[in-house]
Amino acid sequence: MKKLLNLKEFDKMIDSQLKDPVSVMKDSAYDTALAVSTGIDAQKVLAGKITQEEFHNKYNTDLKIEFGDKYLSAMAAEQKKSDGPRWGMVIDLAKCVGCDTCTVSCKAENRTPPGVSYNVVLKKEIGAFPDVGKVNMPRPCMQCDKPPCAQVCPVRATYKLDNGIVAIDYDRCIGCRYCIVACPYGARSFDFGESYEDEMIGFNDLTAPEYGFDREDREKGKSPQGNVRKCNFCMHRLERGEEPACVETCIGDARFFGDFNNPNSIVAKLANSPRAFRLKEELGTEPRVVYLR
Amino acid sequence: MSVPSVQTEKKIGLKQPLIEKTWFGVLIVLMVLGLIGVYFRVQDGLASTNLTSLMPWGAWVAFYIFFVGLSAGSFLLSTLIIVFGMKRFEVVGRAALFTAIISMIVALTFVLLDLGQMDRFAYALMFWNLVSVLSWEIHFYVLYIVLLIAELYFMMRPDLIRLQQNSIGWKKRLYGFLAMGSNDLSPEARQKDYKWMKLLGLIGIPLAIFGVHGGTGTLFAVIKARVYWNSGLFPVIFVMSALVSGTALLTFIYIIQQKVRNLKVNLDVVKALSQLMAFFLIIDLSLEFYEWFVSGYGLEHEDMAVLATLFAGKHAWSFWGLQIFFGAALPLYLVFSKRTKNSINALAIAAISVVIGIIGVRFNIVVPALIVPVLEGLPRGDYFPSWVEWSSSVGVIAMGMMLYTIGAKLLPLEENEDEVLNHE
Repeated sequence: MKKLLNLKEFDKMIDSQLKDPVSVMKDSAYDTALAVSTGIDAQKVLAGKITQEEFHNKYNTDLKIEFGDKYLSAMAAEQKKSDGPRWGMVIDLAKCVGCDTCTVSCKAENRTPPGVSYNVVLKKEIGAFPDVGKVNMPRPCMQCDKPPCAQVCPVRATYKLDNGIVAIDYDRCIGCRYCIVACPYGARSFDFGESYEDEMIGFNDLTAPEYGFDREDREKGKSPQGNVRKCNFCMHRLERGEEPACVETCIGDARFFGDFNNPNSIVAKLANSPRAFRLKEELGTEPRVVYLR
Repeated sequence: MSVPSVQTEKKIGLKQPLIEKTWFGVLIVLMVLGLIGVYFRVQDGLASTNLTSLMPWGAWVAFYIFFVGLSAGSFLLSTLIIVFGMKRFEVVGRAALFTAIISMIVALTFVLLDLGQMDRFAYALMFWNLVSVLSWEIHFYVLYIVLLIAELYFMMRPDLIRLQQNSIGWKKRLYGFLAMGSNDLSPEARQKDYKWMKLLGLIGIPLAIFGVHGGTGTLFAVIKARVYWNSGLFPVIFVMSALVSGTALLTFIYIIQQKVRNLKVNLDVVKALSQLMAFFLIIDLSLEFYEWFVSGYGLEHEDMAVLATLFAGKHAWSFWGLQIFFGAALPLYLVFSKRTKNSINALAIAAISVVIGIIGVRFNIVVPALIVPVLEGLPRGDYFPSWVEWSSSVGVIAMGMMLYTIGAKLLPLEENEDEVLNHE
């Protein structure tokens, strides 16, 4: 079926708007050749073709000479590995109304196919009339500190990142589904390759840039089809400084997100609340999603 | 030298062309059916199955663990002969090893079919997650197959050489290749063979018990998310079931082969094998009883839910019908009842009944524990294999049977006089 969107044409439109670097640099006080060279190499760094360190080693001296005091060397090579964030989530069950907005916005944000839902809201009616109550419990991936899914993966396609998120390498996952079986929270789903194309034209033309990686369109058999998928705390949004979609769109303001390493963050403070509990604590998975009863 | 063997071949060939033709015909039909199933599986991926994200494992995983069990069981039986020198079972020694090899090939084919990304199967060998039981298992399986082939080679070596010397054309080349260029028919070389066989058998025992089939059980047992599996008894039950199914299959193959070739079936051998099978079965049942009893006694919600699914769920017929009746009640009756215990036909039925029953056992390990949701509020699973799963499974099993039949025709799998035991 012919695609209605041709993304390459959009790229061409952008390219035609770009100014010629040489003519721009002629108007500036700084060296043209250095500007063009650093520009090209900076794009290479973003594309992963050369490392930041190589870029730094190549241009450090030239940039110092060119800019003098104005040049603040970020010194990529000397930058000490600071304690990065340790992402976590707190969900206040007293505020959750069971509207499922988080589930829907997660689906919209991550463009998950039919049958794959990173977030679900578990609902249970408790008590007997007249003391009936309803419990609504949103369940994303717990991003456990001791993830059983990462333990069992035969190819180490799923593993814990330094920022606390348990990631899946779609290019390595062989789809054995051992991790789905091992997850005590049922947080992982298998991508069977289904599509919403018959309900939503253009569904297959875009995939969400999960983990910051753009996989362009959704073609048969191409990863992440045939792989296991799960909530990744909207890592691509975190990179942009945004909260995960479910946190942002919650109408009851029941979901909180932040850095557990920062004692002043809302999540760190709420996690110390006497109302705080975690699911299946006895299993020792150390989940990073804390609930408030 | 060449004339007598050709004549013998002709004699056997003349007596069973119809049976053989029918057998091959049936297998080919089943394999074609299987190919259709596999075609759709490759085209549509796992969407062609009835698997879901809630029920991620089904028929193919059940068959995979079943065939690993058959393999380990057959192999462990062969070690009774080679390592422990139990003379009674010598006649099935080589068939046991060959069955073990074919079973592993079938098992790994099922694993391949089950992968979400089939073309990445090599990753399982290239990458080794040291804390993942499954990762260890895949590596052990490969090692185990190599060990099995090596042991069978040493067992058959002189016969392969003799066959090579007495054959012509492509058969001569085949036997030469299988004999790995060896030409030594001396008794000293044979002694060396026995030393190798014993050594490989010895290494193979812990490999089969802990690495291969205990390990397959362990990959379920370590999953703390599924309480029904999460017990130390699980790997032991797996090994026991493997011994039961391996012994049963071997008994059945022995009886069928002898009958098809119009040779005498040794009742003593069949009785000994059947009693061994029954012995393993009784131990297996006792272990399973303890497993269920301890599981259910605590009245823990999830345990009870799985047991309820197993005993009274939608597919409880596979428990009562396959696992209990075919897998235990019928064979135990046939093996111990005065009326049937000396009948070869009855014991053959007992054997094949056990094999079918253990298929039920494997399904009942995989499916009920996955039907019960891990979190309250998640939907309950429901699973019955789709036609693609059935047809592809049937096709793969038929392929295994075809490989076995071809191997039994070409390879010297019958016991020879100068078998290991005479040199004890």
